[in-house]
Amino acid sequence: MKINKKIINKIEGEATLKITGEEKVEFAEIEFWQYHGIENYLKNRNYMDALVVNPRVCGICGHSHLHATAKVIEKVFDAEISRKAEIFRTVTTFLEIIENHIKWFYITIYPSQIKDKEFIFKAVRFSSKISKAIAILAGQFPHNSYIIPGGVTCDPTYMELMRLTDLIKEILDDYLSEIMDESLNSEDLEKFFENLPKDIGKGLNRFLVLGGNEFFKTNGELQKVTEEKNSSLSKNALYNNEFYEVGPLARMIENKDLNIIKIYNEYSDSIYTRMLARVYEPVYLLKNILTLLKEADLCEPSFIKPSVRDGKASVAIEAPRGSLIHEINIVNEKINNYNIIVPTQFNLASSKQKPSPAQAALIGNSVKYIDPIFKCFDICAVCMSH
Amino acid sequence: MNEATLQKVKERLKALKKLPGIGEKDFSKLLEDNGFTRRDFLKWSAAMAVMLGLPTSFTPLIAEAAEVSDRLPVIWLNLAECTGCSESLLRSDAPTFDNLIFNYINLQYHETVMAAAGWQAEENLKEGMEKFKGRYILCVEGGVPTKMDGSFLTLGPHAETGLELIKRASDDAAAIISVGTCSSFGGIQAAAPNPTGSKGVYQVINKNVINVPGCPPSAKNIVGTILYVILFGQLPAVDNFNRPKFAYGLRIHDLCERRGRFDAGEFVEEFGDQGAKDGFCLYKVGCKGPYTFNNCSRERFNQHTSWPVQAGHGCIGCSEPDFWDSMSPYEEPLANKKYDSVVADATADSYGVTILTVAGVAIAAHAALSAMKNPKE
Repeated sequence: MKINKKIINKIEGEATLKITGEEKVEFAEIEFWQYHGIENYLKNRNYMDALVVNPRVCGICGHSHLHATAKVIEKVFDAEISRKAEIFRTVTTFLEIIENHIKWFYITIYPSQIKDKEFIFKAVRFSSKISKAIAILAGQFPHNSYIIPGGVTCDPTYMELMRLTDLIKEILDDYLSEIMDESLNSEDLEKFFENLPKDIGKGLNRFLVLGGNEFFKTNGELQKVTEEKNSSLSKNALYNNEFYEVGPLARMIENKDLNIIKIYNEYSDSIYTRMLARVYEPVYLLKNILTLLKEADLCEPSFIKPSVRDGKASVAIEAPRGSLIHEINIVNEKINNYNIIVPTQFNLASSKQKPSPAQAALIGNSVKYIDPIFKCFDICAVCMSH
Repeated sequence: MNEATLQKVKERLKALKKLPGIGEKDFSKLLEDNGFTRRDFLKWSAAMAVMLGLPTSFTPLIAEAAEVSDRLPVIWLNLAECTGCSESLLRSDAPTFDNLIFNYINLQYHETVMAAAGWQAEENLKEGMEKFKGRYILCVEGGVPTKMDGSFLTLGPHAETGLELIKRASDDAAAIISVGTCSSFGGIQAAAPNPTGSKGVYQVINKNVINVPGCPPSAKNIVGTILYVILFGQLPAVDNFNRPKFAYGLRIHDLCERRGRFDAGEFVEEFGDQGAKDGFCLYKVGCKGPYTFNNCSRERFNQHTSWPVQAGHGCIGCSEPDFWDSMSPYEEPLANKKYDSVVADATADSYGVTILTVAGVAIAAHAALSAMKNPKE
C-alpha cells in the first residue's frame, strides 16, 4: 500500500495529509505538527491577562477569541452588559468574519485554481476597508483590546457611528457589485468552478451551531462537546461522540436560509455549497450590521462593573470558521484552568475509525482535487496548534 | 545629513537600478491602476522621509527607492506565530503606498501569500536563497522554539525545524529583520513557563538583527525599515533592544493624545466612569504607555484611523521585551504589581500635578515616588 504525503501550506500554518490510494483517495489522515501551548501560559495568571493572551492564538480571528474570553469571564461573574456594548461587540466580531471570508476566498483558496495576483489585491482592497471599520470602534485590527468583562472601553459619538455606518454601506455596495449579489450570482465563484466539478467534496452532512445569537440559530448543547487526542499534535472535537461540521454552511442551514437551502438541495454539502455559503455570509452579516447600528443607543453605558467571584464557566460564540468554545475556572482571581476548543478541531479532526467532515470530503474523490477540497473548510493551523 | 550621504544614497540607487526587477508592470502604471496619482505618491514619500527622520531633500530619493524596491528580494519566513504581523502588513492596511510597495516588492517567498504550496514552495525558497545569495532581505515572523532541538515547530516536506531553517536562511542574508514581538523577543510563546523554549531570532543566530517589535507592529514601521535598508544599504540606527530609533525612539506616552489629561492629573478611575467618557488619561486603568517605546500615538493604525488608547483601553506595552510577563496585569498600573501594594499608586494624582511644575521629570521619578510608601508632596 502506498501512502502519499502531501504538505498543505498557505493556510496560516501547515498541515500534513497522509493519502492512501493512487488515483482516488481511499483514506486520508490529517496531521498538524506544531505546538503552541497557549493554555499553559494562562495558568496562575490574573483572569484579566487572558484578554491579552488569548487573541494571540490567531492573528486572523483574534477578535473572536477576545470576545469569547470576555464572555466566559462574564459568565463566571454573572455580569450584565448594556445593549450598546453588546451591539458593538457583535458588529466588530461580524466584521472580522466578513474580512476572513473575503481573504480566505481570494487569497487562500482562489490560487488553487486561478493564479492571478489581481484577486489578492481585490481582497486587500476589501479587507483594508473592513479593518478600518473595526478600528473606528476597537482602535486597531488585528489584535485590539477594547472588549473587557462588563462591556467595551470605547465611547463613540454619533459622528463616529455615522462614519462607521457610511463605511459599512460602502462595503456592502461594493460587495454586492463586485463579489456576490443578493440572488447569489457571483462571477468570481463561477470562474473558480470552470475546471472543477461542483459536486465533489461531500462531507458528513451533519451540522452544528453552538454559539448562536439573535442572528444564528443554535442546534446543540455545550455540555455534549468532548475532546480526544489524535495521532498528531492536535486534538479532535466531538459532539455526542460524533464528528460534526461547523462553520458558515452549518450556520446558513440551521438558519434555514432559503437561498442556500436551494443550492444545498441540488448539490448537498459539496465543495460548491460550502464555498457559496461562505461567500454569501458577508451579505447577510453586512445587512444585519446596518440594522444593529441603527438600534445602538449611545446614552447607554459602555461598561457596567461586574462583581468579581470564583467559578467555572464555558461559552461558545460563532467565529469565522464555526463554533468557538472557551472554558475557564477562576480561583482567587487567578486562572486555575483554561481550555479553548476551536472550530477547526471539529472540521479537521482526524480519526482512523470514523472520518471527520474533512476526511469524508476527501475520501472517494480524485487525488487532483485534494487542494481545493481541503481548503474549502478554511483551514487554520495556528488555531489548531494553540 | 550632509552632501556626502546624499551622494552615497544616489549612487546606491543607481546601482540598484541596473539590477533586473521582477515587476510585470511599470511602477507608474501600477499606481495608475490602483487609482493613485504621482502627486499622491510623492506625498507618501515625503511622509516616509519624515518618519525615517530624514530631511525633506530626501523625498525624491525615497520615491526612487520605492520604485526600485523590486530589485532587492525579500524572503519572509513564518515561524511560531499567529500571522497577525502579515495581517497587519499585507492585508489590513489600506492599499496605501505602504501596501502597494509591499505587493510590488520582490517577495521571493512568503508562506501565506505565495501561490505555490508543498514541494513547489520548498523549491521556490531554495531557488530564492541560491539565486540571491548574499543579497536578499530576510524578514522573520514568529518566535523560534528551541526546546527538544526545536521540534515543537517543523516546516515543509522535510520536516525541518524552525531553528534549522532560520540558521540556514540567515547565513546568506544581506539584512535580517525580525517582524513583530515574537521574532524579536520570543513573544507570546516565551511567556512563562515558556513550554517550547521560544526565543527571539537574535538569540539563536550570530548576526546583527533589526527588531521591529509590536503585536502587531504597524505596517509603516516594517516598510520603513525595509526602505531604509534599500536606501542606505545598511541597517538603521537602533536602541539597546535593536529597535530602529526612527520608530521606537519615543515613548507612547510622549505624544499621546491624552497626555494633557495626565499632566493635569485627570484620570479614568475605572472603565465606564465619567472620566472614560471624557477621554481622561488611562494610566490608572493600566496604560503602559509611559514604559513603552513605539510610535503608535503618532502613526496610529489602519489608515491612521485609530489606536487602542483612542478606543479607551490603555497600551499593553506590546513592543517591549517579555511584556507578557513584565507588563501584566494589563488593566492595573505597573506600580501596583512591582511594589505589591495598592497604596503605591496613590501618588498618580499628585504626580500628574507635580509634573506640571517639574516638567521633563519622567516616569523614573514616578517610580521613585511610588517606591516610597508615604511620598511627600
